[in-house]
Formats: sequence, structure tokens, C-alpha cells
Amino acid sequence: MPRFLHTADWQIGRQYGRFKPEDAAAIAEARFTAVERLAALASAQQVDAVLVAGDVFDAQTVSDRTIRRLFNALQGYAGPWLLLPGNHDAALAESVWSRARRIGAVPANVELLLEPEPHLYPEAGFAILPAPLTQRQTMADLTAWFDQAETPPELLRIGLAHGSVQGLLAEEIDSANPIAAERAERARLDYLALGDWHGLKQIDARTWYSGTPEQERFKDNGAGQALIVEIAQPTSAAISPAAPRVTPAPIGTYHWQRWQADLRLASDAEALIERLQTLATNTVLRLQLSGTLDLSAHQRLQAALGVAEGRCRSLEIDADALRLTPTDADLAALQVDGYLGEVVAQLRERQQGDEGEIAREALVILADLLREQRSLDGEATCS
Amino acid sequence: MQLKRLRVAQLRRFQQPLELADLAPGINLITGPNESGKSTLVRAIRAAFFERHRSSSVTDLQPHGDSSAAPEVELEFCWQDQAWHLNKRFLARKRCDLRIDRLASAASTEASEALNGDEAEERLAELLGFSHPGRGASKAEHWGIPGLLWIEQGAGHELREAVAHAGNHLHSALGGELGELGEVASSSGDAILQAVDTQKKALLTATGRPHGDYKTQQQALEEQRRELTELDARITAYRDQVDRLATLRQQHAEDQRDKPWEALRAQQHAAQAQLDQVEQLQQVQRHDEQQRGPLQRQLDLLRDQLDGFEQQRKTLEQRQVAEQKARDQLAALSAREPALAEALAQAQAAYQAARARLQQAQRQQRRDSLQQTLAQLAQQLKALDHSLTQARKVQAELLEQRQQLQRDQIDPHLLEELRHAEQARSELEIRRQGIATRVRFELRPGQQLTLGNTTLADSGEELLLEPAELLIPETGRLQIIPGGEDLSALAREHQRLSERISALRAQLKVADLIEAEARAASEQTLTAKIQANQALLSSLAPEGIELLAQQQQALRQQQATLGAELEATSESLTKKPADHTRSATPNQALDADSALDPNQAEAQLETAHQALDLAEKAQKDHQLALTTAQSEARSSANERQRLQAELEAPERQTQLHSLNQALTDALAEQQILAQRIEARQQQIEAARPEILKQDVGRFASSAEQSESAARARELELNRLESHLEALSAEGLEEQRAECQLACEQLERAVHELERRAKALSLLQTLLRQQRQALTQRLQAPLQTHINRYLSLLFPHAGLSVDEQLIPHQITRTGNAGTEHELIDSLSFGAREQLGLISRFAYADLLQQAGQPTLIILDDALVHSDSHRLAQMKRILFDAAQRHQVLLFTCHPEHWRDLGAAPRELFSESSL
Repeated sequence: MPRFLHTADWQIGRQYGRFKPEDAAAIAEARFTAVERLAALASAQQVDAVLVAGDVFDAQTVSDRTIRRLFNALQGYAGPWLLLPGNHDAALAESVWSRARRIGAVPANVELLLEPEPHLYPEAGFAILPAPLTQRQTMADLTAWFDQAETPPELLRIGLAHGSVQGLLAEEIDSANPIAAERAERARLDYLALGDWHGLKQIDARTWYSGTPEQERFKDNGAGQALIVEIAQPTSAAISPAAPRVTPAPIGTYHWQRWQADLRLASDAEALIERLQTLATNTVLRLQLSGTLDLSAHQRLQAALGVAEGRCRSLEIDADALRLTPTDADLAALQVDGYLGEVVAQLRERQQGDEGEIAREALVILADLLREQRSLDGEATCS
Repeated sequence: MQLKRLRVAQLRRFQQPLELADLAPGINLITGPNESGKSTLVRAIRAAFFERHRSSSVTDLQPHGDSSAAPEVELEFCWQDQAWHLNKRFLARKRCDLRIDRLASAASTEASEALNGDEAEERLAELLGFSHPGRGASKAEHWGIPGLLWIEQGAGHELREAVAHAGNHLHSALGGELGELGEVASSSGDAILQAVDTQKKALLTATGRPHGDYKTQQQALEEQRRELTELDARITAYRDQVDRLATLRQQHAEDQRDKPWEALRAQQHAAQAQLDQVEQLQQVQRHDEQQRGPLQRQLDLLRDQLDGFEQQRKTLEQRQVAEQKARDQLAALSAREPALAEALAQAQAAYQAARARLQQAQRQQRRDSLQQTLAQLAQQLKALDHSLTQARKVQAELLEQRQQLQRDQIDPHLLEELRHAEQARSELEIRRQGIATRVRFELRPGQQLTLGNTTLADSGEELLLEPAELLIPETGRLQIIPGGEDLSALAREHQRLSERISALRAQLKVADLIEAEARAASEQTLTAKIQANQALLSSLAPEGIELLAQQQQALRQQQATLGAELEATSESLTKKPADHTRSATPNQALDADSALDPNQAEAQLETAHQALDLAEKAQKDHQLALTTAQSEARSSANERQRLQAELEAPERQTQLHSLNQALTDALAEQQILAQRIEARQQQIEAARPEILKQDVGRFASSAEQSESAARARELELNRLESHLEALSAEGLEEQRAECQLACEQLERAVHELERRAKALSLLQTLLRQQRQALTQRLQAPLQTHINRYLSLLFPHAGLSVDEQLIPHQITRTGNAGTEHELIDSLSFGAREQLGLISRFAYADLLQQAGQPTLIILDDALVHSDSHRLAQMKRILFDAAQRHQVLLFTCHPEHWRDLGAAPRELFSESSL
């Protein structure tokens, strides 16, 4: 039974500016690792071909080193890699593909699907109908020619395209590179491998988005996987055609998570601190804090966040909506007396204003300074 | 607090005990000269409170040289219904006893309290607000509130240190007074503020610009952003080039397939073939056109010849007419000749007559004029003759007179000298006569004596002036020698004068003085005459007689000449009229004697002359016209004859005929040629050769352009391909992604730093504001007290207090407006005054806070002028209403008006 590995949107060469430099480097590096994992998976599953549905590269002009690294990462699988140009790496007059060929980086088992014409693999029993992008964007359905394309009846008809399926992905209705929702059926395809949508998504029995193999957004949409596709026989040859068997396989290294913590009660902070302790090391976390905290709880939370930051891959904190409300106990603990008490009160007030976060920061600084002072006093007392 | 009694013993100069009792609650003025022990008393009070009784470093308290002495101080004071009794002894038999008794008036029944040693000292320190040293002598830093209020000699102006040392006591004292403010005085506020300042300084400059890491990061961010913009531009350019490449490839493929320039070339060739045909026609046409020229020239030649013939015939006709005309002219001219001759003759006659009349008139005029001139001349001559005769006579006189003058002239000086000499000699003579020896003789007649050279006879007298020999004949000689020296001297003088007179007379050429005087008179008369004659002569002949004679001569000559002329003129006149009468025409009746006006005659002559000219000219013109007409008549006849002969020759007719024939033939030929050319021209024009030529050019250049554009595209394609290959290698978008990465990271870092900087600024601002507000609240009560005193010293002035509650600036309104002055910049005197005011204000404040106050002034205000001192005394008196004041001074006279009886230290110590 023919078997394929369907993947897409590798976006090799993408950088992640929102993270700290070392995190950004690791996360970018993870995309190469994902490709190596795909190669390993393809070998292990003994697939007939790896279908890559566009956006292998994030840009046309990446460095030669990046091009070579990508093709080197394919070494783990010796079977055919079928690479389709997407909108990021369209087959333009001069493209990353022509560059790759010019520098001799493309191995023999890698097929670049730069022309919209059938590619036949009679020994393996399948024909590939690719819809490569030859412009950065097009408003025409590049898969339209599949309908008329003739292939030997004994071969599976596998479509490979990059774009948005019309009418299904609500938020991309007007997007470029449209693909008709019923293309698989109209073109009598056994499977239509799609790319562009970074999450994993099934369109119909024979049409799937595999999603990107390495997550790169805080969106829980099944990204970070690849699809193993098994097809019994060509639809045209079958009396009652069975749908292909599609199995997701996890590939990605990092888990991108977004937490929103609204801190109202003292226990809320403690719960968050506990939860932070459970974070896995491959987590890329974005934490949005809101609500109010007293100074001591804030200090504890800061400490816990410091620990968490050391453990997980990346921790991004958005505390703009968080307010600090020093309690009497806080003030006593910090020995806030005299006019400092007035300053603290004013800062607390100001958190409600236009530049609340600055007031909060000022409050944190003041609290830190006071703690420092107290600890100095403490030392002085001890000695 | 009120100090009641003070007693010292064995203390410095007070080896014998000294006691100050009954100290008053207000001012206590303690006076005494220098070294009477005022400072010692102050020192004693200080020692009693500040020094530990156990201290061994207070040896300065001992009397000089007495190391065994035990300095002792005893104090009694009241405080809040309690009588405090302190007895303190140092160095030997050290002890400290403090007893506190309830005053009888107190309601409490509590028993009295007694304290000793350290315990007593601690109680005192607590009461008055000072501290003791750990060991050794008490120093200013321990003195606390008393250090502020007990002012040492010459230290009234120095406040800062004292306040600093009193700081804690003052603050805690004020804290009680100010209630909640005591807590507000933050324990760590200033440290926090300093830390915030430091942290802010690391991020922002004093002017609020980014600094340090913040600045570096911001600059790096800007750098990255610039790079990003640059990369974006390059990427855009790259993308445009890629698109261009795609377009070029498509066009190149079309070029290769279609080769559009080939079709254009075929069109070009077709047009060229058509053009060639037309050009052939044009060539034949040109040949025919060339034929036209010679033919036309032949025709022209023939016509010219025929025209020549015709012209000759016309000329003959003209000649005939001309000949006739010349003959007519000649005849007309000849006919006019006699009339003209007659007119000329008449004119000539008239002219001659006019001229004769004019001459006659002129002669008459001349004669009249001559007669007149001659008469004048005769008159002149007569006058001249007279003058000349007169002049000559005068001149002769003059000559004679001058000669006489020459002769009679006498030198007036010599004359004067002669007068004198004569006078002198006469006088001398008289004197000599007087003294001379008289020789009187009376001789018989005939008898002679010879005296000297003189022969004496008869009687007489001789005066002998010199020795003389009297020869008496036959008798001998008698030598007479006149006596006396004078006589000889007078003789010599007489001799000299006589010689001089003789000389002068000779010189003057006179015989004697009378003659000389006569000559002098004559000279004078002559001179006057000469002058009169000279005047006469110059009036008669101003320019000399010679000239006058010449004039006379000239006039005579003129008279002769004119006379001759008149004679001749008269003669001609008497003769001419006869001639004239004869020659005159009958109608011209001219009287010979009648006066003829020359001017009129001249005008008549002019008229006649003009008439003659006209007549002569008419004659001459006529002659010329006649000659011309004759010559013309001759030549026109000749010309006509010659032409006529030529035209009538027989060969000329033959020639004319053949010419006419040739002309007809040539015209026919010309017409045929013109028709042929016309037809062919239509053919050529129909083919539009110029358009055909344009077509050929157009098609050729289109083909050329098309092909070269294709070549250019191919070239550009190749160039762009290799260019893009090179660009692709740069990995621009990856660079951009990295740049963007750096950008975003820097943005975050900068944002965090910015937020931190803003937070620090905010914190700093709030801390400062609150601190400022607090300070102001603390200062307010002190300010009130200060103002109370200050208004006495400087009305309408303000004294501001700094954070340490120390006055630091005074604001006064003077002539120059409002002035702000720092206290430290004021004079010593003013600083001391303000220092005291401040201390009194502190005392007021402390008293309100329930603290004991005692003010000690050791010789204060010595640098104040009388006015200020007067004001300060009012202030001091006011302060003394609330506080006990001990004022030590060596100038009791300065303080007499303080309302307190001075206590003289000297007298008391002697007790």
C-alpha cells in the first residue's frame, strides 16, 4: 500500500525577534531539527515519498549556508522528496530554487516541482500534480489545471498545492492563492496535500493541511506534526473507494503556550506559582498578568518567574495590566515610614492613570530599594 | 528652667569659693573686666553638666599650678515645680550628687529624690538634651541643645555645627511638639532618594537624555533600523529586478520565435524596387529637361535678331523727326538776333551816362571837403606858430637863466663855514688888537724908518703882533718883540683862520663874504625864475619844442598838398560840366552846378549796370543756342542719311526672311518636347517617389530597431541573470530577518530601559516633592519664632531656613529692590545677630515642646553698631520674657539700658 509523509511550511530561515537572543537562536535552530526528524520518520515509516506542500524556505534570498543546511537535513531519508514552491519561496525567474540548483545543493532524490505539469512515478504507482506558485501572490486557482490533467489510470493521483481553501478558513476568505474546496473531487485526486495553513486541518476525506512541523505561534491548532498518509488504491480503479488513512505524527521540539492569569485573591498568585513549577523545559510561554498583587506576593511571584525562566525555553511576561497594591503589612515589613509612605500611596494611585505601568515599575523599584535597605540594616544589626 | 544659685570653689582663678546667688528668672547681667573670671564661670556651668565627674581630662579646671585641687561646682535650679540641687567635684574626691525636691507649692506629695554619680549625670543629660562622651573630655559634638543655647565667646555667628550637634535632640524635641510629623521624618527616605538618584544617573544625564547603557542600546537600535531600511530598499530593488528578469525572458522567447524584423525587411525591399522604377523614369525626364534649355536659347537668339532689325527701322523714323526739329529751332533763334543787339546798345549807353554822373558827384563832394579841411588847417597852423614863437622865447630865457645859475651857484655849507671863519677872525683880530704892541711913531718929515718890511713915515701907529726889527737908519736896528705867550698863539690862530678863509674864498670863487652872500641871494631868485619858465614851457610845448616844430612842418605840407588837390578839383569841375552837358541825352537835364547826391548817383549806376548785365547775358545765351542749333541740325541730317542708306540695302531683306523661317521651326520643336515632359511628369508624380523613399527608410529603421531592441533585451537578460545570481548569494532576506531580529530585541531592551528611566524619574520627583513638603511643615513653627525677632532687627525682611533648620538666606527690601543674600555672605556682625535670633527661636520652639531652656551669652554682640545693638537689646529683652538669660560682659556700659542690675564679678569675688 503506497504510503506518504505529508508536511509543509518549514519556513527555513525565519527569525524570532520577540525572544531573547539565545532563545531566538534555539527556536530557529529547531526548524532544522524538525526536518531531520521528518527524514528519520520517513525512513522509519518506509514511505514512498515525502510531500512538502510549499514554504520550505521563509524567504527567497537566504544564505547559501542555510540552503545547504536544509538539503543536508534531508539526508536521513533516501527516498524521493517532492518539494513544492509556496508563496514565500515561489518559483520566480530568480528564486531560492534556482540558487540551490546553481550552487549544486539539491541531492538527486529531491524533486523540485517548479512547473505545473504531472510528474509520474510508475514504479511507485503514483502521479504528482503540483501547483507551484510562480508569482509571490496570485488570485487565480493554480490547481484548476488538475481537473483536465491526464494520468495513467493505474497510478494514484496526488495533488500538491499551497494556498487557502476557499470558504473553509473563515479568516482567510479574501486571501491570495485560492484553492477550490472541492478540488480533490473535481480533479479525481486520491489525495490533495496542502500547505500554507500552519495548523493541522482536514478539509475533506482526501484533502489535508499538515501544518508546520515546528510550532511558531501561540496558537493551539495542531501545529508541530506531520501526516502519514496511506492510500489503498487509485480512486478511479476502486469500485467503492476508501478514504486514505491519515495519521498525525508529532515532530516539533517546542510547545508554545499562552497563559492568561488574572490575579485577584492572594491564593491566585500561589496557584500561578505552583503551576509555573510544572512547566516543561521545552515550553515557550507567554504569560499575560492582570489583576492586583500586594508587594510580598509580587516579590514571591517574581522569584517564581525567575526560576521558571531558567527552566523553560522562553518566558515572555506581559504585566502591563497588573497593579500593585501595597498592604499595611507590606509597608510594615518594608518599614515604610515618614514621607515614603506618602510616595507609596501616590504611586499606588498612579497605577490607574495613563502611565500606570511606569508607576508600577517605580513601586517595584522602591520596594526593592527598601528591601535592600532593610537587609543592610539587618546586617548592620547582626554585626 | 531657672538657675537660682551658682557656687564654684578651687576652680581656676577661684581658689576661694565664689557664689552667685539669687539669679533672676529673666536677664542676669554679669559684668567684670577681662580676666575677672566670667569665662571661668561659663566653663564651670558647662563642666557641671557636660563633664563626667569621673573624667580625668578636666585638669584645666584646676587653679594654675595646683594639681591637688578639687574643682567643685554647685548649682541650684528650678524646673517644673522641682528644685534641683547639683553638686559636682572633679579630679580629687570626685563625686556627683543630684537632689530633686518638690517645691512646697507643688501639689504632689512625692518625696524628694537623690541621685548620685553616673545616674545623676544621665538624668541631667536627658533633661537638657545633651550626651556624655564615652571617655575623655566633653566636646562640641556632645553638647546637643545646650551647645545651641549656651553661646561661647565669639561663636554666636557659627550656627551650622551647633545645630548639627543638636539635630537629634532638636528633632525629637520638635517631634513631640509637632505631633504626627515626628513619624513622618522618614528614617530611610534620604538613603532611598540617594539610591534612586544614583540609579537614575546610570540611565539619564542631568538634562534627562539617555546615558550609559540606555544610550548605547538606543544608538544600536537606530543603527539597526537604518540597516533594516537599507536592506528593505535593496530587497525591493532585488524583487523588481527578478520581475524584470521574468518579463525579459518572456520577451526574449517571443523575439526568438517571431523575429518581427524579418517581415519589416521584406517590406523594405518591396518599397525599394518600386522606388528604383520611378528613378529610371526620372532620369529620362531629366534628359528631356536638359533639351529644353538649348532650344529656348536658339529661339531667344532668333527673336533678338528680328528685334534688332525692327529697332533700326524705328531709329530712322526718330532721326527724321529730330532733323526737322533742329531746323525749326535754328530758324527761330536767328529771327531774334537784331532785337537783342539793339537792347544791348541801349543798356551800354545808359551805363556810361550813369557812371559819368557819379564821378561828377564825387568830385564835387571832394572839393567841398577839401575847402573845409584847408580852413581848419590854417587855423591850427596859426595857433601853432604862436605857441612855437612863445616857446622858443621862453626856452632862450631858460637857457640863459640856467647858465647864470651855473655861474652864481654857491655851496651853502662852504658859505656857512666862511661866515663862521670871518666872524672868528674878526673876533680874533679884535683880541689881538687889544693885546698887540703898539708902535706909535711920529717921525719927522721925511724921515723913514723901516719896521720889518714896512717903511714908516710921518706919524702913525703900527701894531706889532710878532717880533719885528725896526731899522733906524744909521742908528741901527731895534728889535721889538711883542710880549706875552697869547699873542703868538693868537697869531697862529689868526694865521690858520686867514688861511682857511683864503681857501674857502678860493673854493667859492669869491673875493669876500659880501660877494658870496650876494651870489647866494641871486641864486635863489634865479631858481624861482627858472621854475616859472619851465612851467610856462611845458604848457606851451608839452612834448617839446622839436615836436611842436615838426607838427607845424607837417601841417604846412598837408596844407600845400590839399591846396594843390583843391586847385585841380576846382579846375576839373569848371571844365567837366561842359562835357557832361554835351554828352547827356536830351531827356536827362542835369545842371552842372546843381549839387548831385553821390549816393543817388551810385544807385542809378548800379541799376544801369544790372540792366547792362542782363542785356549782355541775353546776347551770349542767344549766341550759344544758335551755335548748338546749327550743329544739331547738321549732325541729325548726317545720321538720318546714314541710317536710311543702311536700311535700304537689298541683302538685308533676304536676311529678314530667313530669320522668320527659322523662328517658326524652333517653336514647333519646343511644343513637342513640352508635351512629352508633361506626360512623363504625371507618371512620376503618381508613383510618389518621396513617400516611397520614406517607406524604405521607415521599414529599414523599424527592422533595425526591432532587431537591436531584441539584442539589447538579450544583453540585459544576460546581465541581469548574472547580477541576480550574484545578489542571490548575499542572502538579503536572511540578513534582513537577522537585522529585524536584532531590531526587535533592541527595541524591547530600549523600551525596558526607557520604562525604568521613567519610573526612576517619577520616583525621584515624588520623593523630592514629599520630602520638600515635609521639610516645609517642620520649618513652619521655627519660621514663626524667627520672624518675631527678625522684624525687630530688619522690618519687612524674610529669613528662610534650610532642611537642617538653619537660616541660609535673608530677603530684604532696600533701595535696590528686593535682595536675596546668603547668610554666609553677610558680615560677621550681621551673622552673629542672625545667629542669636535663630537660637532664641530654637529656644522658643524647645520651650513650647516642654524642654528646659537656659540661654548663656558670653560677651555677645561686640561687633554690632549702636543701632543694631539697640534693636538686639529689644530682642534680647523679649527673649528674656520667656527664658532665663545669663549675659557675661566686660562692657557694662553697653548694657545699661537692659533693665537688669549688673552684678560685678570683681566685687563679689572679693567677698
